Order: sequence, then structure tokens, then C-alpha cells
Amino acid sequence: METINLIRHILGCGFISLGIIIFFIEIFCVSKLHYVLDRMHFAGTGDTLAFAFTILGSIIINGIDYSSLKLVLVLTFFWFASPVSSHLISRAVMKTDPKMEEHVKVYDEEESKKFIEE
Amino acid sequence: MTTEAFWNAYSNFAIIAFILLGIIAVLCLLRAIIGPRTADRVVAINMLGTVAMAIIAVLFVKLREGYLADICLIYAMISFLAVIVLSKVYVGAYKEKKKAKEEKENGNN
Repeated sequence: METINLIRHILGCGFISLGIIIFFIEIFCVSKLHYVLDRMHFAGTGDTLAFAFTILGSIIINGIDYSSLKLVLVLTFFWFASPVSSHLISRAVMKTDPKMEEHVKVYDEEESKKFIEE
Repeated sequence: MTTEAFWNAYSNFAIIAFILLGIIAVLCLLRAIIGPRTADRVVAINMLGTVAMAIIAVLFVKLREGYLADICLIYAMISFLAVIVLSKVYVGAYKEKKKAKEEKENGNN
């Protein structure tokens, strides 16, 4: 039992620490990049991974019971909701930013065909 | 490691985790204040919501109170709703502003 507790502690705290490290990397990249779509990309992917590690660590520490099942539910909901949020934000940016072409090159049909052929 | 020592060790770890997550939350808030565009602020608010959920998840295990998991779920829903509403309002306000500008230009002509 004591060995299992030790392994649980190391694994759980390790996963939570990993989540916090990824949060730090995410906030660093969001500060470093300048355009909102780049920022959103890092924020979306970083959030998904960091939150998953934090929840996984919490579940390992807590053990298997109904409360852990609720955390799994939270993670599942978050994994569905986070890409939708990112999609909505990027669509809002696309609709409202008149200078998007300066940052993101949008190819029309003929240009994209040439791009694929090359 | 006995069960009591296990929970004591986790309590100490959780305090450090709270401090680090708090620093991340403050940095997110700074990003939301700095901006510069509205979309940057919405992205920062989205991140802040995720960090708050992570804090609640760590607190839930520290206090061993089951209701905190429900609060985490509700927070996830409200955070998602906030991003939806903010992006819709952002697009709506931009369109109205554009329309008013066009009407003004047409009126001048």
C-alpha cells in the first residue's frame, strides 16, 4: 500500500507539474507572437494539453470514485468546447480584420491548384 | 508512504501549484489588458477560464470535496458561453459600425 501511495504521488504530482509547465510555455508563446490567429492556435492547443494533464494528475491523486468520473466529464466537455471556441474566435477575426491578408495569405482556387501541382 | 503522509505531501505540492497557477492567471489577465485587439482579449479570457478550471481541479483534490468537481463543470460551461457571446457581440458591433459608416458616407454623397 505504501509503495502504491508513493507511485500515485509521483505520477499525480508529475502530471500536474507537466500541466503547469505547458501553461507557462503557452503564455510565453502567446506573449511572443503578434498576430491573433497565431496566438489563438497556441492558446487552443496548449489549453487542451495542459488541462488534460492537470485533470489526469488530479484523478490519479484522488483515486477511482464518482468525483473522478465528474472530472472525466469536465475534461470531455472541455475537449468538445475548446475547439468550438477557437473556431468562433477565428471566424470573428476573419470577419472583422480588414488587414488579414497582410498576415495570412489566402489563396484563391487557381492559385491553390498551382500550389498543389508544384 | 502512509496515507496521512501522502495527503500531507499533496497539500504541500498543491500550495506550490496554486502559486504557479496564480502567476499564470495574472499573466493571462495582463495579456487581456494589453490586447491590443478585441480578439486578443477574448483569447486571453478563454485562457484565463481554463487556468481557473485547473485551479479548481487541484483544489478539489486538496480539500477532497466532491462539489468542487461540479463547480469545475459549471465553470467550463460558463467560460464556453462567455467566449461564444463575446465573439458574436464583437462581430455584431463591427458590422453595425461598418453599416453606420457606410450610411454616413452615402449621406454625404
